[in-house]
Formats: sequence, structure tokens, C-alpha cells
Amino acid sequence: MKKLLVCIKQVPDMESRFKVNTDGTWYEETDLAWRMNEYDEYAVEQAVQLKEQLGEAELTVLCIGPDRVKETIKKALAMGADRGVHMTDNESHLRDPLAIASMIADFARQQDFELIFTGMQSQDRGSAQVGVLVAELLGIPALTTLVEFAYDQGTITAKRELEGGSRALVSCSTPALVTCQLGLNRPRYPTLPNIMKAKKKELASLPVTDLKLPPAQLKTAAMAPPPKRGSARILEGDTGDVAAQLAAVIKEKM
Amino acid sequence: MTEKIRKGGDFLIAETACQDVFTPEDFSDEQRAFAETTEKFVADEIIPHLEEIENQDFSHVVAGMRTCGELGLLMMDAAEEDGGLELDKVSSMLVGEKIAGGGSFSVAFSAHTGIGTLPLIYYGTAAQKEKYLDKLITGQWCAAYCLTEPGSGSDALSAQATATLSDDGSCYLLNGTKQYITNGGFAELFTVFAKIDKEHFTCFLVEKSFAGLIVGNEEKKMGIKGSSTTQIILDNCRVPVENVLGEIGKGHKIAFNVLNIGRFKLGAGVTGAAKIALAEGIRYANERKQFGKPIAAFGAIQEKIADVTAAIYASESLVYRLAGLLDTKLATIDKGIPDYYEQYQKGIEEYAPECAISKVFCSEVLAQTVDEVVQIHGGYGFCSEYPAERFYRDERINRIFEGTNEINRLLITGMILRRAMKGELPLQSEAMKAFESLMTPSFDELDDSAPFAAEKATLQNLKTLYLVLAGAGVQKFMDKLADEQEILMAAADIAIQIFAAESAILRAEKIHHSLSAARQQQLIAAVKVFTFNATEAAATAARKAAYYIEEGDTLTMILSGVRRFTKYDATGLLAAKRTLAQAAAETEKYLF
Repeated sequence: MKKLLVCIKQVPDMESRFKVNTDGTWYEETDLAWRMNEYDEYAVEQAVQLKEQLGEAELTVLCIGPDRVKETIKKALAMGADRGVHMTDNESHLRDPLAIASMIADFARQQDFELIFTGMQSQDRGSAQVGVLVAELLGIPALTTLVEFAYDQGTITAKRELEGGSRALVSCSTPALVTCQLGLNRPRYPTLPNIMKAKKKELASLPVTDLKLPPAQLKTAAMAPPPKRGSARILEGDTGDVAAQLAAVIKEKM
Repeated sequence: MTEKIRKGGDFLIAETACQDVFTPEDFSDEQRAFAETTEKFVADEIIPHLEEIENQDFSHVVAGMRTCGELGLLMMDAAEEDGGLELDKVSSMLVGEKIAGGGSFSVAFSAHTGIGTLPLIYYGTAAQKEKYLDKLITGQWCAAYCLTEPGSGSDALSAQATATLSDDGSCYLLNGTKQYITNGGFAELFTVFAKIDKEHFTCFLVEKSFAGLIVGNEEKKMGIKGSSTTQIILDNCRVPVENVLGEIGKGHKIAFNVLNIGRFKLGAGVTGAAKIALAEGIRYANERKQFGKPIAAFGAIQEKIADVTAAIYASESLVYRLAGLLDTKLATIDKGIPDYYEQYQKGIEEYAPECAISKVFCSEVLAQTVDEVVQIHGGYGFCSEYPAERFYRDERINRIFEGTNEINRLLITGMILRRAMKGELPLQSEAMKAFESLMTPSFDELDDSAPFAAEKATLQNLKTLYLVLAGAGVQKFMDKLADEQEILMAAADIAIQIFAAESAILRAEKIHHSLSAARQQQLIAAVKVFTFNATEAAATAARKAAYYIEEGDTLTMILSGVRRFTKYDATGLLAAKRTLAQAAAETEKYLF
């Protein structure tokens, strides 16, 4: 039976009003509502579709974070994943992409996954590094920013989205890792019966303290909203006046 | 979870501990997932077609119902052995709340899942369920409920529709006209009430394809224009005898029992609608600039946003508290017993007064909300280009259907007094005590170290006041009190405010310590604003009732009691309103 893995992240609802925390290195997490990273919804959907295509396959969903991420794992289970793994880590938001990727790779290494799905990036940190680092650590190819995906007997054929909207047709053989772009598919709604069934699926907890993590390579020095730009200046008067004022402004700024 | 099983209506005489009320903060992961699926369905499948639906292109409604069927949204109440999920009331209320964003679509949804499907679930035989239930819970068929007639609305049992057994005894011939039938235009199954031999009020399952069922024209309505509302004309409509639902002559049980649930669910639906309308109002207030700043920065607008936020908070607290009460009660009934649904109905019936309160209070909160949202929009709120106008029109029916708010007010007081007469609620003895307390001055010092102490003391006083007035009314009019509708309505108003304020206060008491400082401040502000408004409303109702019931010295004494028992120290009220309004403006939605 083929084994598939999808790695997901829980992020704040993007409609939240964010405030920088007291450290000045991350956002304040209190009073936020949490949901599945949008890119990961496409990853889960694609993984479930592949599982359905293969018939015999087991899809594991992995998520790192504090206790609250269980709710997001349950969503992936309700969408069709077979078993959940929760790496319990209250500090995950402080870790750099390599540390997160190492945790995932350590988990995946012995398990012989045919394919690993991730979102292209997370909506909150947006490094877009974790997926490719996992592939590197496992020594498998990575296909990124997918907008089309097909699998047939150990070969992935996919389209990647490039700058300016052009697309590259690529292929590789498995095992491999793919990162999913928005619009790759139409993520399904968890139906009520499946939400209830998900309750009965396995959801294992793995304490992260058991893992050896590499020292951090990246450090966030500070985080801040972009400085407010000066407001528009409205030139008034008749046309000649306005033209003269405008010329003066241009001259001054040049 | 709520653990103690309470008696319906006993909130008027007994205290409730905050840990015994269910609150939205107690939702399970699964319940939150149901809500998310419902919200996403509305956003993706209904909102894009809202205009076509408003123009009565019902194909989008029927398609939407099918999708709801696929998502499992129509199978929440059916038993597991019948292919349903048999979920608790909290879950179905939450879905009912979230579906409200679909405007007219939500009317079709609610009629189908509520009055359309529940009679079959509760009273259908195995054969009837086998034949129809799967079609309804998958959305293959839409359902409608036919009780009202042109000449009988609130007085439902005076229906004129008749059913006569055919000569060969194989079917009943139904004749009559049913009025205001939601989903009439596209329903495939109609639950119809008619009197066998002009006497035995009975319920029938009628397929659209049965000869003699004629669908009338669409009504031209003020609001919920995208819902189907037609007459159903029965012209010697042939209904097989096996399609009698429940017992012959017991149709009234079916008619009234599903209304209890309907009233309660309506409370959840209008709460959802109010949240959406408020968010629209706040967004507009942030966007619209006058005198060089957003109108959300002006106190006149802020006060509206604060009052509405606090009212919706109470409405939401009330709905889920009631859901918890029902779930706790219903969970005690053994599903294996043969008369399960009979006991289940009794369980719901226990909280019939609270169900009626939910209908009246929450629909009136929505009315207040949409009125203020139009007002915030100014002239633009009067133009159909902005959703505020539709919210305003769509709201109106909620105070009319599922029993008008007047009928429900009469029911609230009527049921409570009837239970007191039967000895089920110790209202009389408590009223005597309350009356005595009128004559003894109180020197109790308020221990304001406990959270919400002032609010809880006020609540206690409002209960005493209710008992004084109910006692005075009973003493004065005895069994004729039922004819004094103005008094019954005033008493209902006090009871409604008590239940709403208590729900708001207990929820806050239960959750406040787990919140961040900023959220705590907002919660305390909402409780203060609502308790003040509720107490003022109760005071007006109480004064009215006092004048209606009494005169002379007793009147004077009761009026001084009204003054004493409706004192609420709302110091900091203005600051509380500003806190709420500013937080609402920042998040651009309902806060809690």
C-alpha cells in the first residue's frame, strides 16, 4: 500500500487585525481565530484526490504546533486524510524554516512515503522554504508552485506557475515532494458525516523534545508594519497655477 | 456542558450557576467545523447567486438544497438508523445561525429542515420514513408544511380543510386552501393538516404528484423575496390512507410540537442575520467620511453600534444557553425505548416558554439591528444598491411567522402561569415572599468584589418584581387573567428581559477569566450596556403592568417597588459603549 503525507500549518484568520508582539519579532497571538493555511487546503485536496485515484493508499496528515492545531488536523481528517500526527510544539512559531523542515524530515525519513504534499508557503511567515528543505533533507526531488498535478505509476507530471503567469510543464519520478499553489484544485468542504467520522480517526501526538534540531540559521531581528507613506497633496487653483506648482514640486524632487 | 436538568420557566424563581449554562465558547471542534462548512457553502454557493434567487430563479435554491444534502446539512436531526446524524441541538442551531447569511435561501433551508422534515422524523412510521426521509435528507426533494389557511393563522385549529375517506377506504380526499406555504413553488412533499369528517384534526403526507394538489401563484412579498410562498389548493386531492402522519385526530400535537423547535431555531437564524447586518453597518461607518472623519468615530453612530453589539451578544448567549438546556434534557431519554419521540417531544415541551422567548427576543434584536444599520447608512440605506435595504425588508417577517410575537408573548406568560396553577412551578409561594419584600426595606450591602455582582443583584430584583406583578395579576383577575392580554404581554416582556440578561451575565461570568485583558474589558462593557437596556425595558413593562392591574395604595406601593427593584448602577455606561464601538470598528464585525 502506498503511503502519502501531507504537511499542513495552522495560521491566524487573515481577516484578523494583527499587532506586533512585545518582543517585536512576531505577531501577538492572543484573541486570534485560527484556521488551516490556505495553500495547505490545496495540498490536502490534491493528496486526497491521489489517494482516491490509487484506491489502496494511506494518507497521513502532519501538523506542528501547540494544542490548538488539533482542530486543523481534524479538518484534514474530515477532508479525507486517514490518520493525523500532531508534533506538539509550543515554540514552533519561533523556529526557522530549517528547524521545521528537519522535524518533518525526521518524521518522514523511516516511513517510505511515495509522495509528500505541502502548501507552497504559509500565509503568516511566507518563507516558502519548508517544503523544498524537507525534500533536500530527504534527498528527493521537489516540484514547487504547482497549478496542475497528475500521477501515473511512479511519475508526476505537473505544471508550475512562473512569474507573469506562464507555466512550465515538469515531471519527475517518485518519491518526491510537491508544493501546491492556490487554484491547483477546488478544496472540498468537509461534510458533516465526514466531520463526525474524523472524530474516530487516529490522531497521534509526538512530543518535539525527542528530536534533535539543527541550530537556527535565521533570526528575526524585528517585525513592523510598513511605515505610513505621506498623504497626497492636492494642488489647488486655476490650471496655470496648478501647472506652475506641479513644475515646482517636480523640480524640487528631481 | 450543562449538567443540571432544569425545569422550564424556573429561571424566574431560581438562580443558575454560571458553570451550568452552555455558551458558544463551549463549542466542540466538530461543532465549529459544522459552522465552517456551512459558512463556506453560503459564501461560495449562495452569495454569488443571491440576486437571481431574489428574482425568484428557484433553480439556484433547489440546487443549493441538493448541495446541502451532499454536505449532510439536511440530515442533522434524523436518527442514525434512518441515515441521519442525530446531532445535538447546539449543532443544528449553529448551522441554522450560519445559514442565515444566505438571505432568502435560508428561509427555504429552515422550512425544509424544520417544519418540513421534523414531523416525519418525529411521527413517521418506518414505512413512511423509508419512502420519504431519504429523499428529504439528501435534498433530492424539498419539503413544505401546510397549516395556515386564508381564514386561520394564529388560530390554527380552526382550519377549514377537510379530509373524507373514499368509498373504497383506500384514500382520503382532501379539500381546502392552505396559505403562505414556504417552499410551495418547488416542494415535492407537503405536510398538510386537515380535519377528517370536519372534526378530527389530522396530519397527512402529500406528494406533489398526487392528483388534486394545485400550487397557487407566488405571493408578492415585502421581504425574503427569493423564497417561495404560495397557496396550496387541495381539490379532491387523493392521499393514500397509509400517508396519515401520526394518529387520526392528534394533528394538533404535531403542529404545535414542531413549532416549539421552529421558534427556538428561528432565534438562532435571526442571531446569525443580525451579526451579518451589524458587520455591514460597521464597515459602512468606517468607510463613510463626513466632516473629515469616518462616521464610526462619532458618538451618535458609536452608540448604535454599541447597543446593537450588546443586544446581539445577549441574543447569542440566550440561544445557546437554551440549546444546552434542551440537549441536557434530551440526553437523559433512552433512545431504545419505543416511545422515544413522545418523550423527546415532552422534553422539548418542557422548555416551550424559553423557546417562545428565543423567538420573540432574538427577532426583536434583529429588528433593532437592521433599523440601526439602515440609519447608519443614511440615504444609502434606503437604496436597494446597499444590502442594508434588503436586511431591513427581510427582517420583518421574523416577527410574524412561527407564531406572531404577540401570540408568543401570550404563550410565555400563559404557560408559566398554567404551570404555576398545576403546582409545577412554585410561583405562588415565591410571589408571596416577593410581596412581603416589597414592604420590608432592604439593607443588603452589595459585595462588589465578585464579578458581575451589580448585574446579578439587579437580576435578582427583576425576578422579585416579576413575581410581585404576576402575583398581583393572579390575585386580582384569578382565572380571568387570560382575558387581560395587555397584562400578559407586559409580564412576558419582563420575563424575556430577565432570561436574556441572565443568559448574557452567566456567559460572561463563565468565560471572562479565560480572556485577554482587552477582551475582558469588551465583555464587561457588553454586559453593562445590555443589563442597563434590559433593566430599563423591564422597568417600563413593570410600570405599565402595575397601572393595568392595580390602583390606589397598592399601586403606589408596587410603583415604589418598581423603582427599587429596577435600580442598576451603570456607572461607566458611556465609556462601556465607546469601548464596544471602538473595538467593533477595529474588527469590523460582531465582537464575541
